[in-house]
Amino acid sequence: MPIESLVAMPDGVAWPSGSTLLAVAPLIGLIVGLLAFSLVDLVRARSVRYVPKWLWALIIVLAAAPLGAVLYLLVGRDRRSALPSEPVEASDRGQAGVGGELTVKADHGGRRRDGVPNPGAPARGGSPVDRRTTIRRAAEPVVETDGLTRDYGGGGLFDVDLSVPLGSVYGLVGPNGAGKTTMLCILGGMRRADRGAIRIGVPRRRIAVCPDVSEFDSWLTAREVVEFALALTGVDAPAGGVAGALSAAGLAHDADRRVGGFSRGMMQRLGLACALVGDPRLLIFDEPTSALDPAGRAEVLDLVSGMRGDRTVIFSSHILADVQRVADTIGILRHGRLLYQGPTQELIDTHLQPRWLVRIAGDPSLLRAEFGSQPWVTRVDPAGPDAVRVEAVSIEAGERGIPAVLASRRERLVSCDPVAADLEAAFLALTSR
Amino acid sequence: MTAPMIAPTSAAVTSPTMNPWRLEWLRLTRTPRWVALFGVYLTFGLLGPVMATYLAGFLQDVQTQMTIIVPPPEPKDGIVNYVNQVGQTGLIVVVVIAAGALAFDARRGLSTFLRTRTGSMWQLVRPRITVAAAAAVLAYGLGTVAAWYGTALLLGPLPVGAMVAGLLCESLYLVFAVAVVAVAASIARSGLGTVGVALGMLILLSILGTAGALHAWLPSTLAGAPAALLTGTSAADYLPAIGVTSVVIPALVAIAVARLGRREV
Repeated sequence: MPIESLVAMPDGVAWPSGSTLLAVAPLIGLIVGLLAFSLVDLVRARSVRYVPKWLWALIIVLAAAPLGAVLYLLVGRDRRSALPSEPVEASDRGQAGVGGELTVKADHGGRRRDGVPNPGAPARGGSPVDRRTTIRRAAEPVVETDGLTRDYGGGGLFDVDLSVPLGSVYGLVGPNGAGKTTMLCILGGMRRADRGAIRIGVPRRRIAVCPDVSEFDSWLTAREVVEFALALTGVDAPAGGVAGALSAAGLAHDADRRVGGFSRGMMQRLGLACALVGDPRLLIFDEPTSALDPAGRAEVLDLVSGMRGDRTVIFSSHILADVQRVADTIGILRHGRLLYQGPTQELIDTHLQPRWLVRIAGDPSLLRAEFGSQPWVTRVDPAGPDAVRVEAVSIEAGERGIPAVLASRRERLVSCDPVAADLEAAFLALTSR
Repeated sequence: MTAPMIAPTSAAVTSPTMNPWRLEWLRLTRTPRWVALFGVYLTFGLLGPVMATYLAGFLQDVQTQMTIIVPPPEPKDGIVNYVNQVGQTGLIVVVVIAAGALAFDARRGLSTFLRTRTGSMWQLVRPRITVAAAAAVLAYGLGTVAAWYGTALLLGPLPVGAMVAGLLCESLYLVFAVAVVAVAASIARSGLGTVGVALGMLILLSILGTAGALHAWLPSTLAGAPAALLTGTSAADYLPAIGVTSVVIPALVAIAVARLGRREV
């Protein structure tokens, strides 16, 4: 070892000097810098992984420098604990629901209750009647498939002829494994069909796809994610478009938070904001409300419903009440085949028999037997200690027959209400055949 | 039909507009990636000359019965020590960082987001390859400067021509390694799988390079150039490998883009 480069200290330790010191100093600086960076990061972190913060501090300082610091940076750092760019106070989050999600209501006029216009609603404030007129006038299909088939060896899609009217909200429903996701993936360009034809009357850059589980780089803020989504589409958005999309998705107050700390529901909202920012003509949603709480679900459904007439929306959902609420057209898939396609209400009207709930003062067992003997009755079920549910071959038959039976038996009628036909019942009636 | 407008709100957009290039910059700077990449190269760059200088002294201190004779260190030993130490560790770090950017299909939600909004796969892949390769070259360059600095102080001056030539050769190899990662990302879907496939391909290439006939033509030959050029090897000896690598890099990128574009989510 070159003696001239070392200075003997009284306690026997040889410290570098001269050129050696110049060569070693940057290395020491690097190690000290790494230790300092790790310690500052540790202090700023909200949480760390595997062991407590104080133990990480000991590891960083005491473990053979800088291995402890490197170990912390690679293993102990919790990316989701990164501090937001701007502090967010709890009061800034509006009516925080589960997971701190903002609760913002929207009314039918396309105006949210916080005063921000709803981007899903018509910009010119068209009334529901106007929108219906628009739909009728522009009812030509914007998405059509002809014999679309994708065979996964038994599962998949087979000869599907989808027809999605322009400006409609099209609900795609079906049991698990029916082919809904495959259908949406093919329409979104993420999968290819084995055979068949697809015609989409919208430029590819005007189609937005929102998967059931939205994922983004955790170190970006929500605003940056939406800006990036806009940049990728290459569409010129109006000024404030990014902020508007974030606001519409209920993330206005979380715009500058890093998405690594978002709940699944917030990620789904962010996916929605990304879909909206490019001003798409066709939106494809796969289970858009699956991760949302009831309030969030209502907001998203309002948003989707408000798009009717202006954008075309295709969405899949296993929550049939959601589909019935917002979809004007419905497609039912089972085992990869399209069982039904058409207006939602028509499906309910066609595939469900009219039903009434008849409530009397007294024991309904004899009345049930009487209804059961009538030729126009298709089904009678008990509905509690004082009521029966009567299903008739037609509305007219029920409306005429029920009062007649009650009168003939001199029953004391409490109430007789038609049972609302819902999509779930129609769906079960159709798919169980 | 009237297009609904996204209404502006009172919240002003303060950050610069995002784009795929800025995304890659943020990927490097907002995560420990830059610490790992530059830390490894800089540490080995500063450590290499010190180790080369004091290796004999260290060995004398630790030896007991066996006598190890180490020749007096020369200036080239500082760089050789750096290249030998950083050759594997640095390459692994580069592969891991590049895989983190290119294996975007590992997460279905992210993959769907990117693929359904991008006009072309090239638009998506180009910044990821470019920024990863540029960061790797920059980190290696920084490490080389550090090693050069330490060597000049402790062991003596180094030939500038050989140093620059070695830097260019290693840089080309690192770009090649990133292109290999791109192909690996089109073969494997997960991040770990991408790293495994890429390292497997690079190791296989190094093994093939041991065959005498192929040695001069393979990109892996360039990895040893910075050290070899200081020990008397002519830069002209690396021209075949440089030529092959220059052709293979765009070919690999084209293959990766084509394969990633055809992949289904």
